[in-house]
Amino acid sequence: MVDERMTNPVQDLIAEATRLRYSRRTVIRRAAALGLSAPALGLVLSGTGRQPVAAKAPSVQLGGELNILAGSYFVPEAQTFFDQQTKEWGDQNNVTVSTDYVNWPDIQPKVASAVESGAGPDIVELRDTWTYLYYEQMVDLNDLAASVGGAGGNFYGWAENTVAVDGQYYSIPVGTSSAAFAYRQSYFEQAGATEFPKTWEELFAVGKELKAMGKPIGQALGHSTGDPPNFAYSYMWAHGAMEVEEDGKTIAINKPEFVSALETLITGWKDAFDETGLSWDDSANNRAFLSDQISATINGSSIYIAAQNAAAGAETDTDYEVVVDPADINHAGFPEGPAGRFNVLGSWSYGIMKYSENQEAARAFLEWWLAPEQFEPWLEAQKGYIIPALPAYAENPIFTTDPKLAPYLDVVNYGRNKGYAGPANQKAARASSEYIITDLIAKAIQNNDAQGAVDEAVRLLERVYGR
Amino acid sequence: MAVQPLPRTSVPDRSRASSRFGALLEREWFLAYLFLLPGGLILLLFMAYPFGLGIWLSMTDKLVGFSDYSFIRLENYRWIYGDSIFRQTVVNTFIYGFVTVPFKLFLGLGLALLLNETFRFSRLLRAGLLLPWIVPTALSSLAWLMLFDAVFSPFSLLGRQWGLLDSNINFLGDAFSARASLCLANIWRGIPFFAVSILAGLQAVPSELHEAAALDGASPWQRFQSVTLPVIRNILLITTLFSIIWTFADFQLVYVLTKGGPVNLTHVFGTYSYQKMGAGYIGEAATVSLYMFPILAVLAAILLRYVRRED
Repeated sequence: MVDERMTNPVQDLIAEATRLRYSRRTVIRRAAALGLSAPALGLVLSGTGRQPVAAKAPSVQLGGELNILAGSYFVPEAQTFFDQQTKEWGDQNNVTVSTDYVNWPDIQPKVASAVESGAGPDIVELRDTWTYLYYEQMVDLNDLAASVGGAGGNFYGWAENTVAVDGQYYSIPVGTSSAAFAYRQSYFEQAGATEFPKTWEELFAVGKELKAMGKPIGQALGHSTGDPPNFAYSYMWAHGAMEVEEDGKTIAINKPEFVSALETLITGWKDAFDETGLSWDDSANNRAFLSDQISATINGSSIYIAAQNAAAGAETDTDYEVVVDPADINHAGFPEGPAGRFNVLGSWSYGIMKYSENQEAARAFLEWWLAPEQFEPWLEAQKGYIIPALPAYAENPIFTTDPKLAPYLDVVNYGRNKGYAGPANQKAARASSEYIITDLIAKAIQNNDAQGAVDEAVRLLERVYGR
Repeated sequence: MAVQPLPRTSVPDRSRASSRFGALLEREWFLAYLFLLPGGLILLLFMAYPFGLGIWLSMTDKLVGFSDYSFIRLENYRWIYGDSIFRQTVVNTFIYGFVTVPFKLFLGLGLALLLNETFRFSRLLRAGLLLPWIVPTALSSLAWLMLFDAVFSPFSLLGRQWGLLDSNINFLGDAFSARASLCLANIWRGIPFFAVSILAGLQAVPSELHEAAALDGASPWQRFQSVTLPVIRNILLITTLFSIIWTFADFQLVYVLTKGGPVNLTHVFGTYSYQKMGAGYIGEAATVSLYMFPILAVLAAILLRYVRRED
């Protein structure tokens, strides 16, 4: 006879947690997934010998100040939400937390000068592979990585590879904004494309029509860490070229098929693209799209989110009128080239600087913030803009409800790290910090010289990879 | 009340010491060094030390964040010398310096001559003229950035509205127009310095000379050539040299407007050095900025020569 009590979700979860040796966080996550109430969760936690949620008080008295350096958010509500979170934690722990949000191109110079001068923010947001550049000056966070990763299963391979330095964690992966083409369905239909082009060449052909309509494709190619490299690396990989071979040393960028693809791009740029793009950073294309000047651009989902906010009458942080109807915006994965379809994929991460005089508070904050109770609501505030580094979060409805956002999560199937076919390492980080690949593409366009741009990139890459 | 004589032993010592110090103060060379000391210490601490550190770093392969590095002599200088971006940077700096300065000089001179006349609101205008100069460059550059914006430039919007353009003006996304845009903003910022310096010089021109020349039948151009110009000649020279030096060493305007782009085609020494530092190459960053040193040293030497001659 089956014990009736065993059908009770509380008992089920206690049994499951005991059998699979769940951590406290996993228990909370599972309870949330099963829709258990707070008291029921308390029962499970005490039933598995874990501390109840509210009972946990900070074991050490914290205080002082904590400064965080992060890139400015493209989903403004999420930035407000993060500020609320830091305030909440700061009030609870008697720590004055401040966050400096800087434009993406300014993050790295700021981190570099902080690292070199030994003064600056306590916690820094790093982009993929950067940990390789600064780990000597960062606090070992292996224990925290284990507990954060442990709660929701391990980090995705792409997140681990682009954050951990030879398997050692100095910063904790949080996920990344991913890239797809945001495009105007009506304009594409007008240009004769009922669906988004499957190959780069087809895209340039449709783009020609679009530009003739006064709504070209827009692509940022300035020195900025998001959209420019997303396009540059993907276009390079799609045409068979790479920074290096698998050995991580042999430069593999000078491929005839890539040079000819660059020539195609040079023509395509004039015919199909907004030619001011060479000066664009990560925000310029958002502005151009949302003010109805372009019909497609590589971006995170922030354009769509801003259009939705504007349509709903919600507050946006834009200082211009958003005139695009979100219903007309759709997303598509990158087109493919002869070598296939690819995306840059690597995780952002948060780490603590060694020079910080308040490391204890910094660690306590990260531990608190990265716990599912805080981190999942933060991801939800991002509305799907950030794809998570932990598989467990990928089941969250924000990623699955709106089919228009599917291409952003789909990126994980086409992702490569910077430095591919070599590993993501210090050299790959250096090449991307110097914008070698982005500049290669931009230079070919600016100088109308594909082979010359490739030769220059070879020279710079040899310097980086031969060092 | 009897006055106790001071102990004999201590007095001569102290008075001897103070009189020796007093005697030293009487000597001009000592006093000069004494007065130079605070300034010298500040220079040593904030100029000589970083300069020395810069020279040392430029001869190492140090990377930001790594404590391990080695002395590589002049390898960075050799690499940077052959670097195409650096060569472009040198060219840019000269373009930037030598294209903008003549504009600033002539426009500043014209403005100064105009403002030297007294008319209604001339004082107000003189004060207003200084605005581009006193507004922090970082802020005024942001205003220029909006004017040159690829998406929302008012020039592009007006042009499109009036049907003159079918696409936005590519101010900063093309090497030529980006350089021209930088020069324009630089000229705007630099005119007041010329105008105000020259205006000060103009006001030192005795009006009797002008009157005398006018009586002798000299035309306005002749009076400018023979009366005004000789008086302000040195001021013109010195302001020009100062302006060249500042333009060569500029950073803010270029960084805010183009960050050296598109494709590193508008860098000046400062921005390229900063970019190298951001990418972690601190040794190369130091090398780039030190390459500027001989150029600035020559200019400064010429400047000092003229300043002395004027004395």
